[in-house]
Amino acid sequence: MSALILISVLGVVVLYLGLLGNKRLLAPVGILGLIGALVLFYTGYHVEMPLFANMVRFDGFSIAFNSAMIVITVLLFVFGVDYYALMKEHVAEHYALMLFSLTGAFLLTAYTNLLVLFLGIEILSIPLYILAGGKKRSYRSGEASFKYFLLGSFATAFFLMGIALIYGVTASFDLGKVREYAELHAGQHSILFLLGSFFVAVGLSFKVAAAPFHFWGPDVYEGAPTLVTAFMATVVKTAAFAAFYRFVSMTGMPEALSRTLLVMTLVTLFIGNVVALRQSNFKRLMAYSSIAHTGFLLMALLSTSGLTAQMLFYYTFTYALATVGLFIVLTLAKRAANGNENIQIFRGLFRARPWLAIVTMLLLLSLAGIPLTAGFIAKYQVFLLAIQGGFLKTTAFAVVMALIGIYYYVLVIREAFTPAEEGIAIAVTPANWLVISLCGVAVVALGIWPAWLL
Amino acid sequence: MNEITTAIRTVPLEHYVFLSFVLFSIGLAGALFRRNTIIILMCLELMFNSVNLLLAAFSAFHSDPSGQVFVFFIMLVAAAEVTVGLAILVMMKRNVDSVDVNQLNRLRW
Repeated sequence: MSALILISVLGVVVLYLGLLGNKRLLAPVGILGLIGALVLFYTGYHVEMPLFANMVRFDGFSIAFNSAMIVITVLLFVFGVDYYALMKEHVAEHYALMLFSLTGAFLLTAYTNLLVLFLGIEILSIPLYILAGGKKRSYRSGEASFKYFLLGSFATAFFLMGIALIYGVTASFDLGKVREYAELHAGQHSILFLLGSFFVAVGLSFKVAAAPFHFWGPDVYEGAPTLVTAFMATVVKTAAFAAFYRFVSMTGMPEALSRTLLVMTLVTLFIGNVVALRQSNFKRLMAYSSIAHTGFLLMALLSTSGLTAQMLFYYTFTYALATVGLFIVLTLAKRAANGNENIQIFRGLFRARPWLAIVTMLLLLSLAGIPLTAGFIAKYQVFLLAIQGGFLKTTAFAVVMALIGIYYYVLVIREAFTPAEEGIAIAVTPANWLVISLCGVAVVALGIWPAWLL
Repeated sequence: MNEITTAIRTVPLEHYVFLSFVLFSIGLAGALFRRNTIIILMCLELMFNSVNLLLAAFSAFHSDPSGQVFVFFIMLVAAAEVTVGLAILVMMKRNVDSVDVNQLNRLRW
C-alpha cells in the first residue's frame, strides 16, 4: 500500500513541479519516486497482508508484476526526457497521467475483490484516454483518443454487467468467496454465472486487444504519441494480463469460458500474424505484433497450471523490454525522416548507426522468437505449457502462426541492413542510447539465462 | 432501509434481471447504431445504469449491502469517464467541426 500511495502522491508532486515551470526536474523526480516504490515493495512492508478492508493483497505474484511495470515505466521516463524536450507546455501532465495510470495497474495485479478490479481498470484507462489524445492539435491523435474512449467505455459496460451477474449468483464480490462458490458448483454452473464470467472476459480481452475485440488496437497505436503507444503496449498489457490471470483462476475455468478463450486465442493468433503481413506502417505493424503476442499469452492463460503465472510474467516482461526499445528506435528514425512512419525509414540504419541496427535486429528477433533471445524461451515455455494442458492442435496452429509472424519482423530487419541511396542522419542522445542498449542486452541475456526471471 | 428492501422484494427477482437486460440491450443497440456521439454517450450511460439497477436488486435480494456500495462506485467512475469523454469530444469538434462518428475514418478502422 505504501508504494501505491507513493506513486499517487508522486503524480501530484510532478503536476506541481510542472506548475512551477520546472521542466527539467520532471523526469528525474518521477524516476526517483518510481525507484522508491520499487524499494518499498521489496522491504516487505504491507506485503502478504489484506489491505483496504480485505480488498487488496500484494503477494509475490503482484510484486513481481509491479516491479516489472515500474522498470518499464522508468525506461519510458528516461526516454521521455528526450521525447518531450521539444514540447513547450503540459509536459508534467503527461508524466503525471502515466503515474496515475500506473497506480491503476498496481491495483489490477493485487485485487482480491471485484470492486477493486473495476476501479483498477478504470484508473488505468481514464488517464490513457487523455494520454492518447496528447497531441492536441493533431487530428490523428484526437481520433485515436476518441476511439479508445468510446470502445473502452463500451467494454467497461460489458465488464460491469459481468460483475453484476457474478454477484447475483454468488452474493459476494470477494475473490475467495466466488472461488469457493465456483468450486462447489464446478461442472453445473448456472447460466448467469457463465454469462457473467463471459462478459468480464470480454471486457478484459478488450484491454489486452484480443480478437475479435482488437479493432481499436492498430488505430489507437498509430494515432497516439509514440511514448504513449509504448506505455499502452507494455505496462497496460502486463497489468491487464495479470488481472486476467487472477480472474480466470478465480472462476476455476468452467468449460464454457475455456472454449470461448480457445476460440479467441485462435482468432487472435491468426489476425495478429496474418493481417500484419500487409502493414507497411511500423506503428501499425507493432500493434499487430502486440495482438499476436496477446494470442500467445492467452494460450498460456488457457492452460491453467501452477506455472502459468511465472510464464505470463516472463513473457510480458521480455515482450515489454523489446517493445520499448523498438519504439525508441522508431522515434529516432521517424525524426530523421520528418515524421514518416513507414518501415522504409529504417533503410540505411546499419551504415549510419551500426550498433543501433544490431540492437534493433536483436529486439525484432526476440519478438519473432528466434533462439538465443528471450522471446524464444517465452514462446517455447508457452507451447510447453499448452501441450501439458492438452491443447495439442492449438499449439500446432500457434507454431505455424509464429513462423508466419517471423516474416514481417525479418522484413524490418532487411530494411535496416539495406544501404540507403543517401545516408540518413540519426541523432541519439546518451540516455536513449543507454535505454536501447539495455533493452537489447537484457533481451539476449534473459534468453541465455532465463533462470534469472523464471 | 428495511422498508425499501421489502418493497424491492415484492417484485420477483427475474423481473429486475429481465428489465435490466432490456435496458442494457437498448443501450447497446444505441451505442452501436447511432451516429451522433452525444447520443452514443447517453446510451453508454444507459448501459451503466442498467447494471446499477441489477446490482441494487441483487443486493436487496441477498440482504447484502456491498452491491449498493458498488453502485456508488459505478456512478462516480461513470461521471469521471464522461468528463474525460466530453473533453475529448470538444477537442474532436474543434478539429473536424462535427460530432458524427463517421468522421472517425482517417485512421482505418
